[in-house]
Amino acid sequence: MSESIEAVFKKTAVKYEDVIDGLKEKFGSDIIKLDVHERFGGSDENAVQSRDLWVSVNLSAFRPFVEYLFKYDFVNFHVISGDDTGENLELNYHFSLFQRARGGRIGVTARVSVPKSDLSMPSIFDLLPGSEYSEREIREMLGVDFVGLPNKALIFLPEDWDEEIKPWRRDETGPSIDLVRELE
Amino acid sequence: MSTTYKVPIGPVHVGLKEPVTAWLTLDGERIMDAKLRLGAIHRGIEFMARERNPIQVIYLSERICGICSFSHVLAFIRAIEDLSAIKVPPRGQYIRSLVLELERIHSHILWSGVACYSIGFDSAFHLGMEMRERVMDLLELLTGNRVNYGVATFGGVRWDITPEFAKATRDMIKFYRREFTPFRDIVMEDPIAQARMRGVGVLTKEEAVRYSAVGPVARASGLRVDLRKSSPYEAYSDMPVEPVVPQDYFGAAHGDVLDRFAVRVLEVYQSLDLLEKILDGLPDGPFVAETNLNKVLASLKKAEGVGWGIIEAPRGDDTHIVSLKGGEDNVLWWKVRAPTYASAVSWPLMFRGNELADAPLIINSLDPCVSCMERTLTTNAHGDSNIITKQELIKRCREKTDTLRARGGETR
Repeated sequence: MSESIEAVFKKTAVKYEDVIDGLKEKFGSDIIKLDVHERFGGSDENAVQSRDLWVSVNLSAFRPFVEYLFKYDFVNFHVISGDDTGENLELNYHFSLFQRARGGRIGVTARVSVPKSDLSMPSIFDLLPGSEYSEREIREMLGVDFVGLPNKALIFLPEDWDEEIKPWRRDETGPSIDLVRELE
Repeated sequence: MSTTYKVPIGPVHVGLKEPVTAWLTLDGERIMDAKLRLGAIHRGIEFMARERNPIQVIYLSERICGICSFSHVLAFIRAIEDLSAIKVPPRGQYIRSLVLELERIHSHILWSGVACYSIGFDSAFHLGMEMRERVMDLLELLTGNRVNYGVATFGGVRWDITPEFAKATRDMIKFYRREFTPFRDIVMEDPIAQARMRGVGVLTKEEAVRYSAVGPVARASGLRVDLRKSSPYEAYSDMPVEPVVPQDYFGAAHGDVLDRFAVRVLEVYQSLDLLEKILDGLPDGPFVAETNLNKVLASLKKAEGVGWGIIEAPRGDDTHIVSLKGGEDNVLWWKVRAPTYASAVSWPLMFRGNELADAPLIINSLDPCVSCMERTLTTNAHGDSNIITKQELIKRCREKTDTLRARGGETR
């Protein structure tokens, strides 16, 4: 899919208000929550230098959401972060748009909640191959299966790691106390 | 009929400075395919942070890396500042930028030396190591440490800049403008270095975009990306920063090892210019928003949410995401994405079609993070070496810093 999208970063940036309007119009009620974080800097400490959008989307709308971002600019992928919130796993995909204009960058975090009863996510590897290591990391640390990811081998954990143990989980699949060694 | 062989480079290899394994598929000398296996040095730092409060994590984050330690601290601190809306007084911002640029200079000079070593140019390696001492001394003069400076905190910094330090910095700028030229000559003029590095380990512009490459690796492939421009923070908000790209100097970007070398060498000059601007524009006033750490901790205990800190480290964009929960002392979770993590995805592409002998050079061209291990062994006039205990080491470190400070910035 991404092969058909020209791999260039656009020179000019779109205003963040227009991106918000575009996203809301396209996804409507699939956007559960949308926050704007402002980044300050410079000798006027209240001057806003750039902004980040934090968008909680429904799981079913996640993949179309990422595809839609490509309409603005080729998406730059940073990382996936995540946490075990009890019934669900919360995943945050961190992207950037508009890398080139001064102060133009808009950080976009797509937040999805994945139920523990069905821990599978559509992979975005075909859109953004740079996400490979992050998807493999989330798979081994939190136990999410990425559908469409070609290489699902361990990446950071040792080769002889017991794959039943998911280091970032806070439930029974997380590391037990005897696996944690306190150093002096 | 051709036979292919699988050869591992690493996890421990003379050409590598850090444990990483590259499994190369070879047809004769030619590399057909490469697969990377990371994790040999994974320490579970993100997991450790869950039992520490944000102020303790500042010092934990500093120990992620021995070279870009300040970048990691600042990315973490900015993530916390993002979620808790702490603002930094201008003077504090300028001092942060100043340390960032000093760190970039020391990282790039170190790398330039190591790159020369990788191509067998040992005299330039020693020159780089010697030259780097000047900026290391300056960092020690400001912070008391060569690495892990302990200088940043929430809402500002912990040390102010004295007029002596400002003078020593200006002297250093003059010194490097005069003395760093050999490295500029290597990338711009030396035909042997160019023959050795041109066309090796290529990452095209298109691949750099698709694979989300960062920092000097992305810029060497011709991408005009630099967070100091696209998302200005700290002092960079007040001054223009233009990404250093090879097409401005060579006419075209090749995305090879030579271009990565050139970008880093030229960025040293860019950092010297930025340092001058930072010193010229250094605002008066407080350098930290709140000095009482108990008050800071109390306000962070009330904060809740997720914050994202992102800065341009020497190796590219360094991303930290951190979450706090209201009423909890400790960090809920923390995700660190060091620049090498991002660039490593495109590593296998750089190997394709190259020769086996170039593999260590290609691995090093990414500038994978390396820790520095100095002051563990000394040699006397007769060449005998003796091991020094930790206490003795700390005593000697403090003596050296005191001497440096007593000389009022006369570093050499």
